[in-house]
Amino acid sequence: MADRYKRQVALWGKESQQQLETAEVLIAGVGGLGAAVAELLTRAGVGKLTLVDNGLVDWPDLNRQLLYCEADIGRSKLQVAARQLRRINSKVKIDLLEQQINPSFICPPGISIVADCLDNYASRFHLEAALPDETYLVHGGIEGNQGQVITLQKGKSQPLADIFSGIQQPSGEIPVSGPGATTIAGYMASELINTICGKPQLLNRFLIVGLGDLHLDFLKV
Amino acid sequence: MVKIQFYSLIRLLLKQDKLELPPCENEQVGQLLQRAQQKIATPFLHKLLDDQGDLLLGTIIMVNRRNILHLQKLQTPVHDGDVVAFFPPGAGG
Repeated sequence: MADRYKRQVALWGKESQQQLETAEVLIAGVGGLGAAVAELLTRAGVGKLTLVDNGLVDWPDLNRQLLYCEADIGRSKLQVAARQLRRINSKVKIDLLEQQINPSFICPPGISIVADCLDNYASRFHLEAALPDETYLVHGGIEGNQGQVITLQKGKSQPLADIFSGIQQPSGEIPVSGPGATTIAGYMASELINTICGKPQLLNRFLIVGLGDLHLDFLKV
Repeated sequence: MVKIQFYSLIRLLLKQDKLELPPCENEQVGQLLQRAQQKIATPFLHKLLDDQGDLLLGTIIMVNRRNILHLQKLQTPVHDGDVVAFFPPGAGG
């Protein structure tokens, strides 16, 4: 147990590890992005994760949603995710909010960093609206061979709802691959750890990832 | 110069990530778009505008980091030194 974090403490130091172990992060959506983000933060030893979702595991999820397997089809994503995460790291406290993110969503107290792993703009805007001022929002999105990550601070950054104002949710299912989703989730997890440690690298700046041609771009907002 | 930046699928379509055009007096975003298309071999306005010339809703257009829907839409003025970005974000999660 004492050696659990040895390899990462060698990378970011004991102080950062302590910051991680006292952090409380809300992960909105536990699908392609959220499942991988939750697993990475659990392995890193983040103190408490609050997971929000109300979906059931379905066959089309299995190409990319790392916490789920065939035996989980039809089960609550949150329940399966929590069981898996507790098996990975029993020190991490896992809270579950089995609900949609809609205008009545209330962000639980004590959370200063939120991962937007949602799959639609309407829920993203409801989530952002529910956050207290100064909360950090690490947004991720993916569609086909393109994805993006950005960090915004509520009340100080441009709102996500303004940046994406007018954008229309594509109709039908959004194409997405396992490698694509886990790549964007990996960037999100890195940025969440950076943010917990007080050093966000994508504050007010999109990282735009070309997942087909493996291209990176930045766009300041 | 006016700097135009293409991101994501627009960059892939055009096979280029930027374009610089000399400023034109009293030019607006809509006119800049037409001028940009004339400079680029690949037509791209059909990805941004519908048949009536109105904005399609899959790409955000930013002038100096602000979504033009919060400025004057396609009538937003463009000046020397401005940065105009086209970014179709990924919607899924």
